[in-house]
Amino acid sequence: MKISIINGSPKSGKSTSALLIDYLIPMLLGNEIHIHHLNMETGDHCQLSAMTDSDVLLFVFPLYVDALPSHLLRLLMALEKQNFQKKKPIVYCIVNNGFYEGKQNDLAIEQIKIWCHRTHLTWGQAIGIGAGEMLPYIASVPLGHGPNKNLGHALTLLTQNIKAGKGGEDLFISPHYPKWLWKMNASMFFWYPRAKANGLKRKALYQQADYTTL
Amino acid sequence: MNVIIHDLETEQFQMLFPHLNQDTQIIYDNGKIKHCIGCFGCWIKTPGTCVIKDGYEHIGAILAKANDVTIISQCLYGGYSPFIKNIFDRSISYVLPFFKTVKGETHHQPRYPNQYRLFVYFYGDNILSQEKLTAQKLVEANSNNFNVSQYTVSFYNSINDLSKEVTLS
Repeated sequence: MKISIINGSPKSGKSTSALLIDYLIPMLLGNEIHIHHLNMETGDHCQLSAMTDSDVLLFVFPLYVDALPSHLLRLLMALEKQNFQKKKPIVYCIVNNGFYEGKQNDLAIEQIKIWCHRTHLTWGQAIGIGAGEMLPYIASVPLGHGPNKNLGHALTLLTQNIKAGKGGEDLFISPHYPKWLWKMNASMFFWYPRAKANGLKRKALYQQADYTTL
Repeated sequence: MNVIIHDLETEQFQMLFPHLNQDTQIIYDNGKIKHCIGCFGCWIKTPGTCVIKDGYEHIGAILAKANDVTIISQCLYGGYSPFIKNIFDRSISYVLPFFKTVKGETHHQPRYPNQYRLFVYFYGDNILSQEKLTAQKLVEANSNNFNVSQYTVSFYNSINDLSKEVTLS
């Protein structure tokens, strides 16, 4: 089975989407897997052709402002024009967001379903993941254990359905980790250290840009 | 200040809406917009301003001055057109990276005290009922995350229909 995985992260370096794809590859062993990096290949017609010549399309991407990122919208429009004459892949997606609740990915998933309807493709299943920015920090924890407990379970169900050519109920997950602790860690160990690395004090993160002075 | 964000051709927009206030800020597609690269620079490097210098780096600061924001967008897969979504993606400096909890859900804290009214006009000749539902929910979600005071969502079969029924100032 030919599986095209589209990494919809615009980041050129490591991203949560890339990490999720790393998790997926051993779970889909025995299949022909092609990974497409959207940040490098948007508008590449050879890649569009390879995507349409697949049995499975799996979009893995971050949520941007409650919905699909603009660069992914452009890809979906280009793909819709390809008509999918050779094959009719089943479509799956994994969306991660920076909030805690995986449920907040539901509108992006609805958009992918509408795209399936517009392109006459079969919808498979989605996973909506919360606290996506946390995943690289707990990458040493095995899937299915500790804070990665829910993620491991969801990825297992999804990959089983992909291999069986089946659809399934959409899965919305948050990390197996207290929300209050995640919220505190986001400030203390994510935003403040990053600002400091850029030479900014904590207070500077709250500054207001004044458009009239531009 | 009123802000209008649209995805129409400039000449078409000017022809359909010739009478606008002088202080209305119009954000349109000049063909040079870059997409957000997920670097968070607008939060942790130059807080409040996007680091991509293509003329669209001040969206957050513009929204902070807005009383009314009007969006004219093609309805695509239950959401905005790529250009309009690009503007949203490049505007996250309008909020802070930090979180608050509202009705059990995490959302971003506001950077500015401002609250604007949002009017969204979608157009398209074959907008599905599911697309309308998703688009309405999307505008509601955007309004919650961007601290909008009130919003409306409307759908039109064509740009001409829209221009006949909508008055912009």
